[in-house]
Amino acid sequence: MAKTPLYEASTQFKNWRYSPDSLASVRASLNSAAVAVIRNTFESDEPGSSSAVSFLTPDEELLLVRLYISKIPQLCGFFHFPEEVEATAVSYLKRFYLKNTVMDWHPKNVMLTALFLATKTTNNPISLEAYTNNIPKTSPSDVLDLEFLVAQSLGFEFAVWHAHRALWGIWLDLQSVPDAPRNRATTHADIYDAALQHVRASRLSDAELVYTPSQIALASLSMASPDLASEWAASKFPPDSPSVPGLQTTLASIRALIESSVVPNVEAVRAVDLRLKLCKNPEKVVGSKAYLAKKAEDERKAEEKRMKKAAEATTEGDPFGDELAGGPGGIDDDDDD
Amino acid sequence: MDAVEKANTERQKRWVKDQKVGEGTYAVVYRGREASTNRKVAIKKIKVGQFKDGLDMSAIREVKYLRELKHQNVIELLDVFSSKTNLNLVLEFLDSDLENIIKDRSLVFLPADIKSWMAMTFRGLEFCHRNWILHRDLKPNNLLIASDGQLKIADFGLARDFADPGYKMTCQVITRWYRPPELLFGSRYYSTAVDVWSVGCIFAELMLRTPYLAGESDMDQLKTTFRALGTPTEQDWPGHTKLPDYVPIGQFPKTPLRDLFTAASADTLNLLAQCLVYEPRKRISAKDALTHAYFFALPYPSHPSKLPKCAAQITAALPLEELDGNTLSGKTNRLKRKLSSPDDSTKTRSTVARRLDFTKPTPGS
Repeated sequence: MAKTPLYEASTQFKNWRYSPDSLASVRASLNSAAVAVIRNTFESDEPGSSSAVSFLTPDEELLLVRLYISKIPQLCGFFHFPEEVEATAVSYLKRFYLKNTVMDWHPKNVMLTALFLATKTTNNPISLEAYTNNIPKTSPSDVLDLEFLVAQSLGFEFAVWHAHRALWGIWLDLQSVPDAPRNRATTHADIYDAALQHVRASRLSDAELVYTPSQIALASLSMASPDLASEWAASKFPPDSPSVPGLQTTLASIRALIESSVVPNVEAVRAVDLRLKLCKNPEKVVGSKAYLAKKAEDERKAEEKRMKKAAEATTEGDPFGDELAGGPGGIDDDDDD
Repeated sequence: MDAVEKANTERQKRWVKDQKVGEGTYAVVYRGREASTNRKVAIKKIKVGQFKDGLDMSAIREVKYLRELKHQNVIELLDVFSSKTNLNLVLEFLDSDLENIIKDRSLVFLPADIKSWMAMTFRGLEFCHRNWILHRDLKPNNLLIASDGQLKIADFGLARDFADPGYKMTCQVITRWYRPPELLFGSRYYSTAVDVWSVGCIFAELMLRTPYLAGESDMDQLKTTFRALGTPTEQDWPGHTKLPDYVPIGQFPKTPLRDLFTAASADTLNLLAQCLVYEPRKRISAKDALTHAYFFALPYPSHPSKLPKCAAQITAALPLEELDGNTLSGKTNRLKRKLSSPDDSTKTRSTVARRLDFTKPTPGS
């Protein structure tokens, strides 16, 4: 029986792979759901007030997220975080916005939280104080308040497989293929460095949500040196292998993604960000009318739950009561201790 | 409500907490069940709000690794949800652990039983190592036992991944009695061999029914180890005197394992010795251990369902009618276990086992 590759047992393989079309549709439906909710909130506050609002499109949301993705390497450079932290934070930020929208949660704080969480999940922890003290206009609560939401949005799936690791693996392979020139690692170091730059550029794109780390790594290598990429592929697949034509198409698509991935134009993003100020979910703006209304509603619900729990507690002790009287509710989170 | 929040509420509704069964420094454990099936589960509620640095590292490690690992001999993380500022891990329910079983003086271990526990431990460990994960806290009470007898490696709060040589790691890991000498000497570069040493200590403990190398301090741990296995020479373990925290401990002679483990077979002692090799690079790997002659020699490992269980565990596992009608067979399994030839024991025990073997077929790994 053929063994399943380790990668295929990962949560990344199982839960975070999309086709370009499915990515677009996930983003479109998140966007339209958010617009509907926010429009509703505006209207209940003041009827007719939503008609003048120009909400963000899915592409504009993505543009904003990309800008903040591009900030991660700068921060990581400042803190001297290893590449794994950087790559993981980028993945977290992308994954977060496949479950949430920019109009609810601004990517600035989500980015800071994703990076902080990534330091911990990759075993490179730093104290929250040391982290926020070095980032202008950021308090510990800006990071901590969102940490749970980010972890939850990731489905608590913290392990991420990265293309830069796959590139390193290919690089090691290339030094041990039959007839590999001696000292290849030193004589061809510039090729590795160039390929790594392409891997880094790929992080701005959707590549990792569509392709496997090793596909991205091989495409990056093929941009730096088509010959070495073919040599490696030849060592893995027989020349007449049915996988080869498909592989070429895949590599070409990834190269196109990498080549077109650029840091968004700051002016364009600024215009989007300005509009975001007007169309973001008022329930998430601390102090706004809608925020206060939501908070009051939440408190009312919590109180209701406490009352219900207290009422249930009085029926305890009935040997037949627990199972039957509990009813379908059954959410007991035992948070009172 | 946000989609993420909504999904969380859905998850939360799937599980019901029934009863608090334990409380640790950072978590409370409940016995609970899946609402729709009544399947028993354990819910580990981790208090998050109290940490100034947010989600704490052991919770993160545990979730990170258990989310990825699915194997018959590794505890299964069924779900994760949050309630306010608490993180809830829904784990499969396991009613005992190897420490309880070792300490239960009413139980007799056959060599085949020990072999079975060792095989399951090495299978689970080989899977972790194959996935580039070091456990770093193996000890009998982290080896949990399911009602069908399957052993599951649990508690990944100290686990980490490893890949590149030359990446510094902390040496403050693994409970002292199960900690290998390279960590006691302060090595910051180590490997899967650290877990194998722990398994060696557990192997010895299963035979002795008491911890094998029970040092009273880190220094005493080295002394205890060397007293049992002899002080390593430069030839046994090249370079060990250059490790960061190396101190000369004294010269103890090597005594054959046979002197202490008088009843053990040659294969048993060979595998044990290979788990306890000083030079980490020469210590046997989990993968090689699985193909060691010990596992292919008679007696064959006991079927998990026939392994000794604590009394409480048997009652917990038995459906009511079994308790009513077949009390005797339950007792037979627990008390009347005598060392007999492999043929005999399979014959007499198989009848008992068939009656006891009510569990569902175990899922493939």
